[in-house]
Amino acid sequence: MRMRLASLFALALVACQDSDVSREVGARCSDNSECDERCLAPGADWPGGFCTVHCEVDADCPVETACIEEEGGVCAFICFADPGCAFLGNGYSCKEVDARGGATKRTVCRGL
Amino acid sequence: MSRLVAIIMLCAAVAHADTAAVSNEAEPDPSDQIVGVSLGVAVGGRVTPGGLRISGHYHYQLSDHDWFDGRATFIFGGNSPECFRDRMDDVVCDHGLADGQAGELSANIRRFFGSGQYMPFVRAGLGVMLVRFGPDDVTGIAFPLHAGVGLRVLLTPAIALNAEAELEVGVGAFNRGLGAEPQVGSSIAAGAEFRL
Repeated sequence: MRMRLASLFALALVACQDSDVSREVGARCSDNSECDERCLAPGADWPGGFCTVHCEVDADCPVETACIEEEGGVCAFICFADPGCAFLGNGYSCKEVDARGGATKRTVCRGL
Repeated sequence: MSRLVAIIMLCAAVAHADTAAVSNEAEPDPSDQIVGVSLGVAVGGRVTPGGLRISGHYHYQLSDHDWFDGRATFIFGGNSPECFRDRMDDVVCDHGLADGQAGELSANIRRFFGSGQYMPFVRAGLGVMLVRFGPDDVTGIAFPLHAGVGLRVLLTPAIALNAEAELEVGVGAFNRGLGAEPQVGSSIAAGAEFRL
């Protein structure tokens, strides 16, 4: 009986779990069709490819992401240190980059 | 005297036979088969399809309270791509409550409680369902268990309306490397039934 309950609980857990990334921001990709809007192609800057959306200000970006001055303004995950980027996999670290508009700086997860 | 008694008995016998014949014509044995159709809404999510739900039913009476309930069900939901590759390169699907298409055949048992014009019932069954999320090119076969409650309202001896709510839990096998995925959904539906 306990095993059955544990199995049901595990099933419910699997059914409800969320990924850290989405088609909107953070999923791996090789072309735009794999993302809601656009794919930053795999390479040294964005290892494995990186789904993102266009932005002009932080408010255009999903929670926990910021608008940076790259590719005409894209959203990237905010971080405070390298371990905060580990969920994106090998090649990502916490870097300081220009915020969209260039007036301020942001620390976000990216390659190189 | 004996002739009079014989005539009276003959008349009584004829009268009884007539009554029985009239009685049989007025209350024919009800059929033990019913067909029906229902329309409703299914709620899914992830790789469980949801949307408009249309069912055709065939019911066969097994006992005073239990009926076999065979169903062909179709679900028509939205068509937006919701699958992606996570950072481990595993495919993850995060479809909404009303996405995907499905066709299902299921075998159920429906048990009625009470009798009369309003008859509540419970239903339990097992189905085999073909599931498709076209824009993601995800296809799978699922085996959902159904459990439902409902109410049947008799309008005439041959026609009834019914309303039902059900839960569905199961497992499905999907392509694109998704493998085995849980199926968790619910639905509400209403329809009509016709005694054959």
